[in-house]
Amino acid sequence: MQLKRTIVVGLLLAMTLILSACAAIAPQGGEQPEGGEQPAADETVVLTWAFWGSPAEKESHERVAAAFMEEHPEIEIEFWHQPWNDYFTKLQALWASGDPNVIPDVAFLWPTPRYAAEGVLENLDPFVAASGYDLEAYWPGLLESARFEGSVYGFPRDIEVNVIYYNKDLFDAAGVAYPADGWTWDDFTAAAEALTQKDANGMTTVYGLAAEGGKWAKWVNQNGGAIFDDYVNPSQCLLAEPAAVGGFEFFADLMASGVAMRPADLNQAGGDAAVFASGQAAMILQNTSRVSAFNAAGLNYDVAVAPIPAGGKPWNGAGGAAWVMSSGSDNKEAAWTFIEWLQSDGGGETIYTTAGEIFPALQSVANSPAFMTDAAPANKQAILTEAAASGVGGFGYFPEWGELSGSIIGPGLDKLWAGEADAATLLPELCAQVDQFLADNGYPK
Amino acid sequence: MRRFPANDSSTSARRRWRPDQQWEGYLFLLPSFLGFFVFVVLAVLMSLGISFSVWGLTGFRQWAGLLNYQQLMRDPVFWQAFWNTAFYIVTLVPLQLALGLTMAVGLNQAIRGVLFYRLVYFMPVVTTIVAGAIVFRLLLSTQGAVNGLLATAAGFFEVPFSAPNWLGSSQFSKVSVVLLTLWKNTGFTMVVYLAALQGVPRELYDAAHADGANSWQRFRHVTLPLISPTTFFLFIFQMIGAFQLFTEPFVMTEGGPANSSLAVVQYIYLTAFRDIRMDKAAAMAWLLFVFIFAFTLLQNRLQKRWVYYESE
Amino acid sequence: MSAAYSGGRARPSLPARIGLHTLLLLFSTLMLAPFGVMLLVSLVPLPAFLARDFSPAHYSLQNYARTFAAVPFGLYYANSTLVAVSVTVVQILISSLAAFAFARLRFRGRDLIFLFYLATLMIPFPVTLIPNFLIVKGLGWYDSYLALIVPGLFSVFSTFLLRQYYRGIPIDFDEAARMDGASSLRIWGQIIVPLSGPVLATLSIFVFQGAWNDFLWPLVVTTSEQVRTIPLGLASFVGQYSTAWDMLMAGSVIALLPVLLIYLVGQKWFVQGIALSGMGGR
Repeated sequence: MQLKRTIVVGLLLAMTLILSACAAIAPQGGEQPEGGEQPAADETVVLTWAFWGSPAEKESHERVAAAFMEEHPEIEIEFWHQPWNDYFTKLQALWASGDPNVIPDVAFLWPTPRYAAEGVLENLDPFVAASGYDLEAYWPGLLESARFEGSVYGFPRDIEVNVIYYNKDLFDAAGVAYPADGWTWDDFTAAAEALTQKDANGMTTVYGLAAEGGKWAKWVNQNGGAIFDDYVNPSQCLLAEPAAVGGFEFFADLMASGVAMRPADLNQAGGDAAVFASGQAAMILQNTSRVSAFNAAGLNYDVAVAPIPAGGKPWNGAGGAAWVMSSGSDNKEAAWTFIEWLQSDGGGETIYTTAGEIFPALQSVANSPAFMTDAAPANKQAILTEAAASGVGGFGYFPEWGELSGSIIGPGLDKLWAGEADAATLLPELCAQVDQFLADNGYPK
Repeated sequence: MRRFPANDSSTSARRRWRPDQQWEGYLFLLPSFLGFFVFVVLAVLMSLGISFSVWGLTGFRQWAGLLNYQQLMRDPVFWQAFWNTAFYIVTLVPLQLALGLTMAVGLNQAIRGVLFYRLVYFMPVVTTIVAGAIVFRLLLSTQGAVNGLLATAAGFFEVPFSAPNWLGSSQFSKVSVVLLTLWKNTGFTMVVYLAALQGVPRELYDAAHADGANSWQRFRHVTLPLISPTTFFLFIFQMIGAFQLFTEPFVMTEGGPANSSLAVVQYIYLTAFRDIRMDKAAAMAWLLFVFIFAFTLLQNRLQKRWVYYESE
Repeated sequence: MSAAYSGGRARPSLPARIGLHTLLLLFSTLMLAPFGVMLLVSLVPLPAFLARDFSPAHYSLQNYARTFAAVPFGLYYANSTLVAVSVTVVQILISSLAAFAFARLRFRGRDLIFLFYLATLMIPFPVTLIPNFLIVKGLGWYDSYLALIVPGLFSVFSTFLLRQYYRGIPIDFDEAARMDGASSLRIWGQIIVPLSGPVLATLSIFVFQGAWNDFLWPLVVTTSEQVRTIPLGLASFVGQYSTAWDMLMAGSVIALLPVLLIYLVGQKWFVQGIALSGMGGR
């Protein structure tokens, strides 16, 4: 009896402690009674700005901040910087702490809906309405990736535009004509085959194509396929439909026939930029982020639109990491001023674009001299053409997409890329798992 | 576990509370108990609570009953991680025991160089596992040293050979994790076995020898039964270790490809800190606990059949 | 120790010795090869490595210089040392006090509390990982030395091990000291602790090695470079330079060298300690 009572008392005590600990750990976003950092009129406001990136990227962020502070001396920008690997877990921890002193006011983030659903992001609709900020200036479909329940929670800084980079020297050496606008999958396969070279031992020395497995959505959508029936509120996985399977087969067949490098090998060889720069791959499918490195290395290359299937259409997945505002920020007006400036023609967008770091999210900046320079690649029109074909279809716009993609879809497709399964049998199984996941998470809502 | 001399301070004759030691006892215990209460008792209860709730980035939202557990039961990735972990256990535990015992028996002979061998075998144990995983990534890469050696060997024996993709194919990724873990941990098993072997009384061997037992028979009927408590200890120890495998797949294969080397603890980590699903992760940790507990209980039952205690 | 092995033991026949040495050398090669590769690759420039050209003409410490410039290993060392030493010293102190109370003092609730301790021994660390992360964050310790150190100061396992050992020391020692008017603290400090040298040494090695090599917990509770420990620093280095094998190997050697040196110097205690601890089940 004595023992029992002791245990019961102990458990009750523990439960009380848990509840109080929970309360301490999870303060509600709204209540920050002290407001110690309320800016007085003559005081500068300090904004914490969070981003990831390499040391070179960090430098360019710092330049952007300097330009902003020049225009807005009343606002001071502090940096919170982490390498990409650590960035998200660390940022989550800051938000979870609920402490406005450590929560960044403005952060670079992906994917926006996941975090908006957690309530840590500020709904930007009221700011947009008040300032008359123009949402039409973005590429088609791009803002969808930063919406949650219909409202805008962030502004994508850039848009991922995947184009074909090709090595002119290797094309010349193989006697293959440079890619032309409107080339087809068959043209592409023929070129890739002609470009592939093997040594005496049968080891491939030059691959026609090196592309990350994650680029599959382009082929699927070009071929008329889709991931879901509805990307915001999905009720069904469509990856096993014939059009989608056709897209996967195109990609997997290139690997099976040995003209495209398998993603696992690509990973071990250091990624597509490394194999392209070293001449191990004649073509890569990649976004514009590689341009500055290739120019710095002085490669003889150009870009081309991606080939499309017979009866298909050009398609580019509209998405890009976005600037968001923390709902726990204690300087929301200043944060909005900064975000609006970052995402303006002549502001941050132009500086990043001029630095060659992004392909801008704003159409006007892409068409301005900031992007249309004389530097390589010569065929910048190809990038604009692909960007104009942007649309939804690359990923889900619901909060659980990251988990679904990271645990089920991505690993599931690994088998296809490794040549361990074929598309026609793998995809129905994969789709069943996706449907199960959707049902488990209460979709369609 | 070790049994201590029968000098027992709490035999019934002496069992009575000493009032003068009442508060002293609590004081001595206090620092330990504080930590124990917060980081063990409280943590366990919290974890249980979280696993039965909806718990987001900003904390508790609402109670969820068995929802997280039901989701897990239907989660194919969890089951894949579970079976991967089962694979690690059934390969790692016997291999570590067999290799460790082989090394220990070899070192328990009257030969030169025993100190050197022991030094070398134990070296990986003190090594930071991250560094080990990095070297193994290099050794096992498609054009790495291991495939180079295999190709040379295949050329020598004139057998056809296609280089396995150790890290990039789902047949081999688990094997790679097993290889790394064997390299890292076998030295520990060796040392513990060696200590046990040195505790086997000489007279028993001499007696067996006199009865005409050959060396294999002596090993089988004298050594093995006498070191069976050690085997049992190592069995449990390595099994719990294999259940909790994390760093090896995390650094070497990142759980891939196709989740083929994903371990349960790794999936717990990803679920909690990548997918921000603390609730589901907590439920997973509890399921893992239930499995470890059930396994250990089972082994404890089975041990009576093969573990030999001198005094019983 | 080697004398003890051979004492009164017949030397195996020559063919048996040759066979045995072959086997043992094979194992040694397998165990040492990764270290050798690490060292070798760290000494040659990347282009030479990619061409698999390991001729000694290329050897230089260039990679080490570059790695040191890219990564603050000195800081990681200082952090790892601070964390591992504090955890080892304080954990053993706290465990020793508790073990003394459990083993040699008589007070109400002792056996019940000990039973609680024992019951939690089986709980795997993933169960407490998430709540401990939340607790540490709730205490405001996230990304600080406190987060790395404090949760490691309490160990049920250490307490259990020491308690078992203390119970084996004759209680008459205490009684006699008490007759002379010694306090419990004095008995602990002047009788029990001095008598438990070997077990304390073993436990120290275990705890230190565990704290030094711990990966998951620091990964979860730290964010900034300033508090990063060696395994974490090395892992993030892998993330940033995933195919710069020259620097990766140099980094690994830098990270391992001190641990290996400590091991080589102290290996006698290391290996014997494990044998002595009674972990072998005997």
